[in-house]
Amino acid sequence: MSGFDWLSTLRYLLLGPFPAGPLGGVALTLALSATSAVLAALIGLAGGVALAMTRGIAHLALTAVVAFFRAIPVLMLIFWTFFLMPVLLHVDVPGLATVVCALALIGGAYLSHSVHAGIASIGRGQRDAALSLGLTGWQALREVILPQAVRVMMPSFVNQWVSLVKDTSLAYIVGVPEFTFLANQLNNRLMVYPAQIFLFVGVVYLLLCGSLQWLANALLRKDASAYGSKR
Amino acid sequence: MQTWLEPKYFAWLEQGLVVTLMLSVGAGLCATLLGFVLAIARTAQHAAIARAASLYVFAFRNSPLLVQLLFWYFGAAALLPPDWMTWLNTPHAVAWGPIALRWPSFELFAGWLGLTCYTTAFIGEEFRAGMRGVSHAQEQAAAALGMGRYTALRYVILPQALRIATPPLAGQYMNLVKNSSLTMAIGVAELSYMSRQVDTETFKTFQAFGIATVFYVLTIAAIEVALVVWQRSGNRALQRGRA
Repeated sequence: MSGFDWLSTLRYLLLGPFPAGPLGGVALTLALSATSAVLAALIGLAGGVALAMTRGIAHLALTAVVAFFRAIPVLMLIFWTFFLMPVLLHVDVPGLATVVCALALIGGAYLSHSVHAGIASIGRGQRDAALSLGLTGWQALREVILPQAVRVMMPSFVNQWVSLVKDTSLAYIVGVPEFTFLANQLNNRLMVYPAQIFLFVGVVYLLLCGSLQWLANALLRKDASAYGSKR
Repeated sequence: MQTWLEPKYFAWLEQGLVVTLMLSVGAGLCATLLGFVLAIARTAQHAAIARAASLYVFAFRNSPLLVQLLFWYFGAAALLPPDWMTWLNTPHAVAWGPIALRWPSFELFAGWLGLTCYTTAFIGEEFRAGMRGVSHAQEQAAAALGMGRYTALRYVILPQALRIATPPLAGQYMNLVKNSSLTMAIGVAELSYMSRQVDTETFKTFQAFGIATVFYVLTIAAIEVALVVWQRSGNRALQRGRA
């Protein structure tokens, strides 16, 4: 094991060639997850509200679009964005952006389903009551229905974010230097400790996802108890 | 100018679809059986068994499938004794009358193993949710009738739990088909791999990815249809039973 610099290797896995070059490794995985999580939440919220507000043809079309994104593998969508985005935008799009776009679309499609379900679970009575108080449709949605619906759909948001963190590993396929990519690179260079390397990678992802889940649960519990005491 | 794919490349994509389907069915069958065992283990009275099962679920659900596949493909190969590896890497064929079974390549084997282990954790959780959906009173009623724990599980809890768990199970099978695309990272020649292969050979990216996408959507739709048909026939049987 002599001649092998553990510390700099670990640093490379965590940050990539960061101060000297672009960000990589675990840090890039985190940045990728955070960006696509926010975008997915926004798309999901917009899509869910649109699903709840539209009727007829528009609703059917929207349902079909959501169903399509839910039916294709994330990998396939990454291929599509990787190939289509430069063609459509007429600029050279970095792999990173295409992956963020694909993850946000898939996550958004899944989340719009849960947002729609959350809004539906609040019931017509609340909406009718808000309308009879003189609120407009949008006000009723924003002030009355969504605050309650968010409470219902928070667990599915957390689940979706956890699977987003896991799905960022797919960026490896298009050569984005995130954690899995660097680990694989390291494995190809060393060729001696494949089991240890990938176990380590798995444990790091486990820590990321586990702590995200734990944090979310703690926040939700606190929120629920605050909500309970207010009543 | 020819815009459509040549039959040869279309055949490649079809081969990819067959591999995807075979891999999904193989992993799905094993994951269902193991998921069943896992769900029962999680509700076991023995604390150590229950804890081990929940640790399994935590570990396999919270790490990316891609990393797990890379681990099985590169890591397991290094951990296994060398003569096992040579056995796994050499082709084996079992001729059984007209049917010849060929031992799959190590890529396919690792892909199958990774998908099975990953999906087992999810399917086990769906089974467990189904079992929790059955009211506790049912269990007590079964115990009052003198049934043991396993008899009650077999004849009272599981039949109801299975009905509750069917829709989420279908969702997991859909996820399995989609997840099988990740095995391309370890070189399994399934649908996504083939579409990329066709893309690099023909530069007809749109057609290659388009056909692969359509294949995936059709497969998912078929599972959805199967679910609806199964549920309808189940409901009819239930009504007949009541009448």
